[in-house]
Amino acid sequence: MIRPEEIKMSAEETGKWGMVIDQDICTGCQACVAACAMENNITFVGEVDSGYGRSMHWIRIERFWEGEYPEVKMTPQQPMMCQQCGHANCEPVCPAFATVHSQAEQLNLQVYNRCVGTRYCANNCPYQVRAFNWRDYQRPEPLQNQFNPDVTVRRMGVMEKCTFCIQRIHKAQDTAKSEGREVRDGEFTTACAQACPANAIVFGRVDQPESLVSQLKHRRHGVKHLEELGTLPNVTYIKGG
Amino acid sequence: MAEKVDLLAVFPDLEPAANAVERLRALGVHDDRMNVISGVPVTEAMLGRAPQWTNVPRIAMGGAILGFGVGVFLAYIAPFLYPYPIQVSTQGFVPGPPTAVVLFEMTMLGMLLSTFLGVFLESFFPNYRPMKYLPEISDGKIVVFFECAYAEENKITDALKKLGAESVRPAEAQPL
Amino acid sequence: MSDKQHHAEHSHEEHLREKHLMLDPLPRGKMNEMVMEAMLAKPTWKWWLVFSILAAIVAYGLFYKWGILIMKGQGEAGVMRPDYWGIFLVNTVFWIGISHAGTFISAILRVFKAEFRRPFTRAAELMTTFGLVQAGFSVFMHMGRVWLAYWLFPYPNQRMMWPNLHSPLTWDLLAITTYLLSSTMYLFLPLIPDLAMARDRSTGWRKNFYKILALGFRGTEGEWTHLRHAMNIFAFAIIPVMFSVHTIVSWDFAAATRPGWNSTIFGPYFVIGALHSGMGAAIAVLAVIRGTMKNMSYFIRGEHFDAVGKLMLIISMGWAYFFFNDYMVQWYGGDKWTQQLLHFHEAGPMGWMWFAMLVCNIVVPWAILWNPKWRATPWLVATVGLIINVGMWFERYIIIPVSVTINRMPFTWKLYKPGIEVPMSIGTVALFILLYMIASKLIPLIPVWEVQEGQMAHEFKKFGRETVVTVSELE
Repeated sequence: MIRPEEIKMSAEETGKWGMVIDQDICTGCQACVAACAMENNITFVGEVDSGYGRSMHWIRIERFWEGEYPEVKMTPQQPMMCQQCGHANCEPVCPAFATVHSQAEQLNLQVYNRCVGTRYCANNCPYQVRAFNWRDYQRPEPLQNQFNPDVTVRRMGVMEKCTFCIQRIHKAQDTAKSEGREVRDGEFTTACAQACPANAIVFGRVDQPESLVSQLKHRRHGVKHLEELGTLPNVTYIKGG
Repeated sequence: MAEKVDLLAVFPDLEPAANAVERLRALGVHDDRMNVISGVPVTEAMLGRAPQWTNVPRIAMGGAILGFGVGVFLAYIAPFLYPYPIQVSTQGFVPGPPTAVVLFEMTMLGMLLSTFLGVFLESFFPNYRPMKYLPEISDGKIVVFFECAYAEENKITDALKKLGAESVRPAEAQPL
Repeated sequence: MSDKQHHAEHSHEEHLREKHLMLDPLPRGKMNEMVMEAMLAKPTWKWWLVFSILAAIVAYGLFYKWGILIMKGQGEAGVMRPDYWGIFLVNTVFWIGISHAGTFISAILRVFKAEFRRPFTRAAELMTTFGLVQAGFSVFMHMGRVWLAYWLFPYPNQRMMWPNLHSPLTWDLLAITTYLLSSTMYLFLPLIPDLAMARDRSTGWRKNFYKILALGFRGTEGEWTHLRHAMNIFAFAIIPVMFSVHTIVSWDFAAATRPGWNSTIFGPYFVIGALHSGMGAAIAVLAVIRGTMKNMSYFIRGEHFDAVGKLMLIISMGWAYFFFNDYMVQWYGGDKWTQQLLHFHEAGPMGWMWFAMLVCNIVVPWAILWNPKWRATPWLVATVGLIINVGMWFERYIIIPVSVTINRMPFTWKLYKPGIEVPMSIGTVALFILLYMIASKLIPLIPVWEVQEGQMAHEFKKFGRETVVTVSELE
């Protein structure tokens, strides 16, 4: 028999890598969006498609207005990216195993080459953070020279999403391994966190209590988005702290 | 050795055909030497003949078991065949309830495919050799094909004509 | 018995005969002739005109546009975030729904020995197969990389992958494949004796065509026995397959974590919806066959429209019941996103479609089909059938692209505008009709032997002063 208190619903047990986003200090400058696009070889969609809802970003800054005119108030900027759920909705619904759970890194992987483009994962993502390659978009000269060689270039018809810059994770792990040590907290970070001028994004190990990300997450009242769905997200938002 | 002859008798209706079968049997033509061909499914019971043996239900059952086996393979064995099983969400490598869906569909597919195949096997389809047949059969005539001793041909012909046969004549295999 | 009484008796019988095909037998040869004549009738210029228009639509709308879609990507269609699923999946669900009527008529009615089914089982079964062809096309149109669609089938491969059995889409693939194969086989089995009939009465290339397809069927006791057993197995086994197919289609939605979709009633709601549109399409097809082909007014009569009309009315009531059930519980749940969605359905930009759906699916059928006289009027019932199909298409449109507009991330809310889907959808409709037109020239649309079997089983019997119709079971 399982007693009710034995059923664990919190994310504490799951997850390895995590992120804390401080909405109080986020200025909405979009530096993270640009850095992410550069780091991860994200294509340029152009204004027509972007305006229609096909913008291709792995991270987006959400901004809302509260109240009725003229009493309008802006809510804090809300950077939104893949929450790297511990219990991800996107994973089981893919017929081709194109999005799977990494047992080693506790991340949601997207395997571009397996994707056949049914778009079920994107539909089932409560955070709506997956981006689909609706077309083969042009990459104007000389932008082809800035491809990041560590990241696959995706073509038309496949789904993609934030990977927590897994190429950086692996690079740091390889370096640490060759030097015979563990990866140190703060040794590397994701492109978005690196680019943030306000240091609103902090990335690190959530399974190590002494790491900055764990301390931030516990110190102030962090919120996880749509936690009530049981998705066990690994991104914590701090607001009104 | 007694000379045998192949004959056919054309009947307009079920009743005289059934009578004819009975009469033929009385005249010493064995049931195995008779074959009734009709354009509607006339059952053996209507003709007063022994029930036909069919293996279609058995073949279907065999196919169902085979299909179930394929389902078991897909649901329980296939996920572990390759070097590492794939984890999705927090679900197990073998999902619980969805396996029922796979087992059901594969069982049904196996059963229906084998039923279809069973008809082919049991009826020796496709078969394009010349066979004893009359095109009038698909117009609703019932034709009794039978084999009798050469000596009895006239006697049997008369008897069948009396029972309402439209014609009694030698049967020949012909291209359909 | 006085002359007058006798006369009344006689005209009562005459009246029944006129009404019911099963009581109005013709010699088999005559019926064969009529069916063959209908099939072999030389196509008129009108036929060729319709044929060429449809062929042009298929060539342009379906194949040319599909080529464009494959070349340029899904961006040609109206899909975007959050409407990742659009009209292609609306069409998939719609066509699978259409296909359900064929099985309903030829399997469920066969199992329950509903005699009125006999003349149109084949036309209905054709609808299953042709509908599933369109559904298959639609689902492949939807895929981002359709050239890799074979990856979804289970086979040992170098990628060292089996399809993901956790995914409702994989169940769908298995179920639809099973359904397509079994309904095609179920179409073919009862066709064999009619192909033999056509073989016996044709010449030239048709002779060879039917000879090959009839497989050497003669009609021996053994052949009939095997066929009868097989058809019996099919009739029973294909019913759960049919239910499973649309239930699994509904799980594609119900298994998702989305407001409006995550509903436990979706399975039966989709099945009844499928029958609703399917019966509507079947009756329209019957009306067209009756109206355009020779001799068909003998085989397809007012009684058939009346009987199917009754079924349509009952199914419409069933649909209303499930719809209300789904709506009621979602409304009562009070989840804020579901509330938003329900409000968006009714008062959003697509609100007109939501109300039109209710009018087409409930108001129109209920207003017309209650009346036996109207029900027996082919063009009227066929019109109701087409209206129901419009309503059911709207229903699927509301469930898919309209509902996915509202999700739990209000930042992404956006209304879907169809693009290349429009000509391609018209292309699937054209292909469906085109396949029917070709089939009507190639295979006997009326299962003559089944009609004759039914006519043999029916007779008049006197109970006291009343002449009634009795049916005996021949099997």
